Order: sequence, then structure tokens, then C-alpha cells
Amino acid sequence: MMVSRPRAAVNGMRASTLGFATVLLALLLGGDGMAAEITGKVVDPSGEPLAGAVVFVDTLPAGMTAPAPAERTAAMDQVQKQFVPHVLPVVAGTEVSFPNHDQIHHHVYSFSRTKTFELPLHKGENAQPVTFDQLGAAKIGCNIHDWMDAVIVVVPTPYYALTDDAGLFVLRDMPPGTYGVVGWHERQRTSQRQSVEVVDNTTPITLTIDVNPPRARVPARGGARSYE
Amino acid sequence: MNWWARRRLRTRILLPFAVLLIGVLLATLWVGSAAVTAWVEGSLRRQFDVTANVFRALLSERAARLRGETSLLAADFALKRALATYDPDTLASVAQNQRERLGVELLWITDERGVLLAAAGGVATIGGDVTSVRPLEHVMRAGTADVVVTEVAGRLMQVVATPVFAPDPIGYLLAGKPIGDDTARALGDATGTRISFLTQGQVFASSLTVDERAAALPLSAGRLGQHLEQGAAAGKTTFLVHAGGIRMLSVLIPIEAEIAQPLFALVQASFDDALGPLGKLPQWVSAIGLVALLLALLVGGVIASGIAAPLAALAQAMGAVLGGDLSRRVTLARGDEVGFLARAFNAMVSGLAEREHIKDIFGRFVSRDVATALLSGDLALAGERRPVTILFQDVRGFTTIAERTAPEVLLRVVNRLFAEMVAAVEAEGGVIRQFVGDGVMALFGAPVLHDDDPERAVRAALGMVARLPSLNEGLQRDGMPLLRIGIGIHTGDVIAGRVGPDQRSEYGVVGDAVNLASRIEGLTRDLEATILVSAATASHLGPGFLFGRRVVLPIRGKAEPVEVVEVLAG
Repeated sequence: MMVSRPRAAVNGMRASTLGFATVLLALLLGGDGMAAEITGKVVDPSGEPLAGAVVFVDTLPAGMTAPAPAERTAAMDQVQKQFVPHVLPVVAGTEVSFPNHDQIHHHVYSFSRTKTFELPLHKGENAQPVTFDQLGAAKIGCNIHDWMDAVIVVVPTPYYALTDDAGLFVLRDMPPGTYGVVGWHERQRTSQRQSVEVVDNTTPITLTIDVNPPRARVPARGGARSYE
Repeated sequence: MNWWARRRLRTRILLPFAVLLIGVLLATLWVGSAAVTAWVEGSLRRQFDVTANVFRALLSERAARLRGETSLLAADFALKRALATYDPDTLASVAQNQRERLGVELLWITDERGVLLAAAGGVATIGGDVTSVRPLEHVMRAGTADVVVTEVAGRLMQVVATPVFAPDPIGYLLAGKPIGDDTARALGDATGTRISFLTQGQVFASSLTVDERAAALPLSAGRLGQHLEQGAAAGKTTFLVHAGGIRMLSVLIPIEAEIAQPLFALVQASFDDALGPLGKLPQWVSAIGLVALLLALLVGGVIASGIAAPLAALAQAMGAVLGGDLSRRVTLARGDEVGFLARAFNAMVSGLAEREHIKDIFGRFVSRDVATALLSGDLALAGERRPVTILFQDVRGFTTIAERTAPEVLLRVVNRLFAEMVAAVEAEGGVIRQFVGDGVMALFGAPVLHDDDPERAVRAALGMVARLPSLNEGLQRDGMPLLRIGIGIHTGDVIAGRVGPDQRSEYGVVGDAVNLASRIEGLTRDLEATILVSAATASHLGPGFLFGRRVVLPIRGKAEPVEVVEVLAG
């Protein structure tokens, strides 16, 4: 898919951000026990790995409150008439900016029930950031370029990750306890939720998501290719 | 005789011609009608092909326009924004407005799950699931716009479903344009045909008026019903539908549609209108044929009369001839076979008359050879001088015999004698001139001339004598008197020809020689001789005859004595 190249770069960025947050958390909590990881893989029912799936914790161990996220901002870039990244998971309450790095205007909007907004024709970094405080997925589009699409997934906790091309994910710096872990994919028909008890070395888990086949968007995709 | 053989000649000439002519006319009519029908069917079929193509182009063009316009509408950001409100009242206004804008009959808006949010046109419940409305189901699955022909609230429509992307589908637009009477009429006007859209169970639209439909479109009857039942096989063949006395050539064009029964466009054109002036062809051919038939009968009648009338005249004349009227002649101034027949008839009757005439003249006792010679030759009956040998034969002592014999026996005796005498004469080509009491008079050299008439006469006389013994034997056996004969022969010039008044005239000879021959016969009694010939006759006889006495005797009525010779044998 066309989104695979930018997503790889984003994953890297996301990992470093998470690492930094974990260090901060460890300092704040004063080394209260060793933090662990949940690793695993997201696959479709046929066992094929699913890239671009969001894996996040929706239920924390009893008595634990969701830690405040390290970053309360995120960015949905527009580069070469594509949204970058294609899938952007954020914690509820995150302000997402929409910088435009193309030489042309974009008209970013979402009519999703999660978040309805519109950034009329804008260029550069002038557009007002948008705060996503309601859980769920918001489909993002551009009124000028129908083929441009992205999704911002608003999750309840800072424990989330995006699967790589091999469908692999890592949820880091998790105190021991039993978590509810959910997998989400933009083409999902049904998603899987799983309880995971985090101890020292947690066995990798596998989340299966039943997805619709990818479908061609008409007529904009073809049009986009012919422009490029 | 069968029926045909009993018909009159005129009938037998006219009837075959009339039958032949009628046959030719019917064949012409049939071939002509078949050719015209085939031609008209061909031309209508081409017209139907054009109509089908125009119709498909029209549907496809309408579909493309509907799809294009609806897709543009779906891409309209204001519409997306309005749709995202999911506010029923707002969306109802939007649907109404966009329906007007697109000029469609039906415009529905659903959310991304196919739940109806707003509807302009059609019959639907807001908030209801309309996924089942084709083509929405397919579009929701495939994600691309689609147009189908379907039935919405009993009306035939082209319906497009288009997703509204923002950027994923946030809803769907359904827009429908009816295929109605207007469509059918426009298409019919453009192609010169009558168009109806129908299934086996329903007429959805037609260029016909509502009143006309019931009679013109019998869905479950006749050829149309059959073809509708055949379904997929239809559309290939044309067929005739009779509607109100008009023959409509029809074809069913299948239309791909999402409805329960197969949908067809029924394309029709009046066969009779298409025939145009050619439709009158059978009448014209019939009229011309009738006139030709009447003329043929008239002319044939005249010709047949030309043949039959003279034949009838001939037949009548023939009847008269059969009745004995040999004076009948047929007068026909014609050079053809009938004229020839008439001339031949006349010649034949003339021949018959002549034969009768000859019979009249010569009597019955003319040998066949002589008769043939008489009939075939130009017989001079008018009279001419010619050398003739005359033979007289007489029964010796006949008076005595007659006194002693019963009359009926006597007549039998004489007749038996005459039979032998005639045979002897005819054997030598002579002609019996007359029977004189108990004897005969025969001529040699008249009317038919031979080179050796005197010899023939003498041989005939010898023949008579030779026949006598056997005759007498027979007579004796029957108890009849025996006969002896005397024969006198003389050769001399006589006048030969028709003798006597007209009705009673006979061929005969007149002259002194006749009397002399008779006298010589009379001398046989005196000389007790059987055959006596004059010296004139004897001088013509060749060798081979045995002569007896030769005497010169005075003859009564003759100044000079006459030399006669007795013939004994030959």
C-alpha cells in the first residue's frame, strides 16, 4: 500500500516518544517494581500479519489510574497529497495539529461521530490544532483530494502501539497487573479484546482481527496516480 | 363416356385455360405476397434493430448521466457536511433540493449502514433499512456507484446508488429516473415504432394510450404471451400480434433489470402501414387477374366458337348426309384446319354423291375393279364414240322351261344362272349393262377401255360356258331344269354415255353394233352354236382360240350379209 513507507518512519518516532515517557514515569514512580512489556502480533483470521493495527489497553489493573500521557500533542502531516501517518493513535485529550507541507492548500475535515471538524483551506502550519477528547476513530479526509485519507484512533490509556509490517507490536513500561488489551484495525469487521496478566516476562500474545478486504476508492485513487 | 368426354367442345377448350389462368394468378399472388411480406419483415426487422440499438444507447446514456450527476452530487462538500449532521429535517430539504437540481424523480439519502435518512419521491419509511433496494446492497458491498433498472413502488426506474465518501462512506445517495410512458413515447417517436416495457405480468410503460393497451398487449394470450413465456429465447424472432384488426410485427428485446420477472421492451410496428401501397397488391393482382380471366374467357369463347361453330355446322351437315341428303355442302371461307376439314367434308360428300350417281347409272352389276376405275378416272359420261365389244347371252329354250316350271323356282334358277354369268363377265373386267329376261348384256371397252377387250369378251363367253356344267349339276340335284346358253359377240364403234332422262339416266351404249351383237346371239339358235363372234371381233383375237364354222349370213335389218365365226375353245 502507499501508506507503508511513511508509516515505518512514524513507528520509529512513536517508539522513541514512548521510551522517553517510560523513563519519566520510572523517575516519577521512584522505581516501584520492574516495569514489563506486552509483546505480540496482530493477524487476520487466515494468520496473515496485519500492519497498521492499533493495539491499546482499555482496562487497567484494579486500583490503577491511567497515567497521564507524556505528550498531549500529536501531528497529522500532509505530504505529497497524503496524510502522514495514515493511522495516528492518540490518547484522549490530545491536541492534533495538521501541518501542511505541500505547496498547495488542503481542506482537512472529519465527519466522524468521534470528532467532527473542518480546517478550511490552509497551508503551512497555520491551521488550528484539533483536540480529540472522545474515544473512537475519526476518519480524516481532504475536500480537495478525495483520495487523501487517514484515521485518528483516540484511545483511553497511554499504553498503545501500532503494528509494524510484520504485524508485531510492543506495549512497554507496564507495571505488573492484569490489563485488557484491544486490537483495532481500520478495515475491521470484529476486533478482539484480550485480558493479559503482566508479570516479568509475559508470553507474546496474538490478537486476531477479522478485516474487510482493502477496497479501491473511486474515483480519486486513480486520479491521484495519474497526477503523480 | 366420362363426364369430361361429355362436355361440349367450347367447355373443353375454355375450362383448362380458365383453370390454368386461375392457377397462374394464384401462384403469382402467392409468390408476390410472400416476397412482399418477406421484404417488409426484413425492413421492419432492420428498423427494430435500429430501435434496439437506440434504446440501449439511450438507457446507457441515461445511466451514465445519472451516475455522473449523482457522483458529482455525492462529492459535493456541502452535501457531505449536511449528511454528517444526520438531521432528518435538514436532509429532507437537501433531498428535495437535490431532486429538483438533478431533475430526477426519486432522491433518497441513507447513512453508511443503509438506513434511510431522507426521501424525496418514491414510497419509503424514514429510519427504515433500505439495503434491499437495488442497487444499494451491491454498492455497499463493492463501494462503487452502480445503476440498475428496477421497480420502485410499481414503477420502472433506472436507479443509481452512490456512496458519499468522507473519506470513508458516511452515507449513500439513491437517485431514480423513471422509464415511463414519456420515455416510451420519445423512443417510439424517434424510431417510428411503438414501444412498451413489460413483463409477463405487467405493462410498466408504453407509448400506447392506457385504453389501447388492454387490447394491444395481451400478456398472457396469443403470440405475445407465448414469447413472453419463452423469456430468454425471445428477442431473436419477430412475430405478429393482431390488435384491433391491425397486424403488428413485434419483437421482444430483453432488458437487464433487477425485478422478479424478465423485463422486455416490446417493439412493434404496424405491418399494414409498413406494407403501404404494397398492401393493396393482392387486391390489384386479384382485380387484374379477374379482368384477365374475363378477357381470356371472352377471347377464348370467341376462338372456341370459331372452332366449335363450324364443327357444329359440319356435324349438322354430316347428320344430313347420314340422313341421305348428299346435296349438303358446308361453306367456310377459312384457310385453317377447320377450313380444310370443311373442304374435305365437301369433297367426301361429293365423292359419295358421285358414287351414288355411278351406282345409279351402272346399277349394281359393276365389278369392283370397274367401279374403282370409274370412280377414280375422269369418266366421260357426256357421250363419246369409242370401240366397244358387246356380249349378249341367252338361255336356249327358256320359254319352254318357263312354261314347265313354277315361277318361284324359275326365278331361283335364273338368279343362280345370273350369278355365274356375272362372275364370268367380271372375271374379265367387263361391265354388265343389263339383264334381259333370261340373259345378260355385257360391255367390254366401256366405260373402261382395255387393249384386249375383244379377247376379254371371248374369254368371258368361254368362262360362261365352262361354268355351265357345274351349274347344271347343281340344278339337277335340286330337281330343276337343265340350261343351255347361246352367246353372241361383236366389236364395233358405239356412242357411250349417259342415256335416259335425268333422274332415270344410265350409262349405256347406243349404236348399230349393239343391234348386230344381239342379232349374232340370235343366230346361235339357227346354227346350233354356243358362241358366235362377228368377223370384226374375230379379227382382234390372238392365237390360242379354237374356231369352228365360219359362215356369212344375211342379217335382218342389214343390207350386207355378216360373217360370223364359231368359237369352240380358248
